[in-house]
Amino acid sequence: MSTRIVVDPITRIEGHLRVEVDIENGKITDAYSSGTMVRLLEEILKGRDPKDAWAFVGRVCGVCTSIHSLTSVRAVEDALDITIPPNAEMVRNIMFCAQYLHDHVVHFYHLHAMDWVDVVNALKADPKKTSELAQSISKWPKSSPGYFSDIQTRIKKFVDSGQLGIFANGYWGHPAYKLPAEVNLIGLAHYLEALEWQKEIVKIHAIFGGKNPHPNYLVGGMACAISIDDVSGINAERLAYVGQLLQQGKEFVEQVYIPDLMAIASFYKDWGAIGGGLGNYMAYGDLPTNGYRDTASYKFPGGAILNKDISKVYDVDLRKDEEVQEFVSHSWYEYKEGKDKGLHPWKGESKVKYTGPKPPFEHLDTSKDYSYLKTPRWKGNAMEVGPLARMLVGYARGREDFKAVVDKALTDLAIPVTALFSTLGRTAARGLESVLVAQWGLEFFDQLITNIKNGDNRMAEMGKFNPSTWPKIAKGVGHSEAPRGALAHWINIEDEKIANYQLVVPTTWNASPRDNKGQLSAYESSLLGTPVADEKQPLEIIRTIHSFDPCMACSVHIYDEEGKHISRISILGD
Amino acid sequence: MLLLNKILVLGIGNYLMGDEGVGVHAALQLQNENLSSDIDIVDGGTGGFHLLEYFEKYKTIILIDATLDNNPNGTIRLIKPRFAQDFPTAMSTHDIGLKDMVSALQLMDKMPVIHLFVVSIESLQQQGIELTDEIAKAIPLLIKKIKYLIAELKEQKLEKEILAWAV
Repeated sequence: MSTRIVVDPITRIEGHLRVEVDIENGKITDAYSSGTMVRLLEEILKGRDPKDAWAFVGRVCGVCTSIHSLTSVRAVEDALDITIPPNAEMVRNIMFCAQYLHDHVVHFYHLHAMDWVDVVNALKADPKKTSELAQSISKWPKSSPGYFSDIQTRIKKFVDSGQLGIFANGYWGHPAYKLPAEVNLIGLAHYLEALEWQKEIVKIHAIFGGKNPHPNYLVGGMACAISIDDVSGINAERLAYVGQLLQQGKEFVEQVYIPDLMAIASFYKDWGAIGGGLGNYMAYGDLPTNGYRDTASYKFPGGAILNKDISKVYDVDLRKDEEVQEFVSHSWYEYKEGKDKGLHPWKGESKVKYTGPKPPFEHLDTSKDYSYLKTPRWKGNAMEVGPLARMLVGYARGREDFKAVVDKALTDLAIPVTALFSTLGRTAARGLESVLVAQWGLEFFDQLITNIKNGDNRMAEMGKFNPSTWPKIAKGVGHSEAPRGALAHWINIEDEKIANYQLVVPTTWNASPRDNKGQLSAYESSLLGTPVADEKQPLEIIRTIHSFDPCMACSVHIYDEEGKHISRISILGD
Repeated sequence: MLLLNKILVLGIGNYLMGDEGVGVHAALQLQNENLSSDIDIVDGGTGGFHLLEYFEKYKTIILIDATLDNNPNGTIRLIKPRFAQDFPTAMSTHDIGLKDMVSALQLMDKMPVIHLFVVSIESLQQQGIELTDEIAKAIPLLIKKIKYLIAELKEQKLEKEILAWAV
């Protein structure tokens, strides 16, 4: 006799994701992940000017707005064989780094930390001891006893007012919270500091992209004029400000995020053996330093790892028909040639056919179709994408910078490399790649400045701006590493218009339903075997799913009919 | 930098989801209305946490958004939410992010005065960048109401200044 529990929605902030699990003797025996919202971007884009696609896809989500725009301009540039100038590459890379730092810090402190940090318990901490502890792990200046005691007073006032707001959904006091009160207080203090900090780093997007949210991109380069002594464009003063923001970002990662991550992780080492799941990892790679087509120049290398075997990395080719395919065997879509066929995205179809129960419903019939997500596969394999996949691919490719940060963390925590294949590994990998990205951001900045000083002000290649220069038919693929993992857009252009446009987003790789062979995707697989101490408070499920940084806004392409957002955990006998 | 003397008009919503994007459509139209220089208009899209900076910079914010509240399609209401809970339960697809941000502002003691215009829509099923006729027809009235509120807020401010000066 197993019990089925439903967690819906599972995300703390963005998204529309539902998870149903079966529990037997305190452990998860089966899991189903369902996207309950659909947003048919593909249909909105058909027949439009390919040069405008970036503006539409950038609207898909409020969290990773600029990465979709980047991927879109790359797809069009790929189709039309446009090479962008070095300055544009550096500006895009700097914006990429700013987005990572913003996204990863916000994920850690505002979407994930409260799965590990008990806010209410932080009120019991001794401010003096907290101060000593904070100073022993970091040189971050805000660490006096008075500082921590002020934070406690503010939180107490907030809690006493009954307006728990952002902290209302926590399972405070759950036995799976293991941190001493002082570590909880540090986590809480930095939750507030991170909130302040995050609004600074995104200014980089407003400087180069003209606005934030949803900054401007351009097919052929970037839409900003750059010149050291230009009064109205991006001049020395504004560039210096970008450098300063990147430097502050690096300091925040090194002095706040990483010390907190390590301190928290040291109390949850058992999570190094929970939540591993598939063991197949894939990255497309990103941050080109010598053009998009020179994949060897990427700071993040691409590749695939199967069965946790990091002695071997396979190359991934997004153009080959048999490599990346999307299945709809358990999705609310239909294909012309039948439900069980896999389609390469250049031949992709997006025709919705909802066959699920009429909402509101108790639970989904998971033996049939149960999600608005399609199921992508690489050479038939279910793959995990995201920070852990990127760090493992970099590590397995023998890249020194990756090895240095990963090995240091493993040594500091005294855990083996195998502990990376886990919930803990996923959460740690996000922090570790932030260290790399913060360093690279400054490198790109220096390179941009050097280029400009050498007299190169070119920011866009506009030779193919006029559609009359285009071939009658063209197709391209734009890929990137979104903060949540490998992202690609496939475009078919015919007679100067978009004939087909398919997005395969990271959360689709990770959160998709079963495929035609019944293989589980990353979320479902990662939950198997996870202990759940209290079925009414399934903190363990949330920890693992949050470790992937779920973002459903773009992976499912409308709401259920009720448009409900009620946090609900229902327990059903099965 | 605090922009004490300025009012922010912030339209939010998803431009790709038909009527859900009414806030963004209204903001874009207001940009063509030549409002005075102390009014800033921002298309906030689905910005979520990215919008925190705006909420901290301005002391008075006029927010425009869609809501699914069972009122007749195109109904315009003005509410003054003080807490996250005061926001209508079914606002647009970005509602969780926006409410969390409001809670965060409260926690930081930085909550601005928010005047929230909500436009009732019928469905979130609709896809595309076009508004339905009923919602498109509501926009001129919405813009009129926003301009009226701006005038009222400015008058109140002027009264306060005169009073302060008189003392």
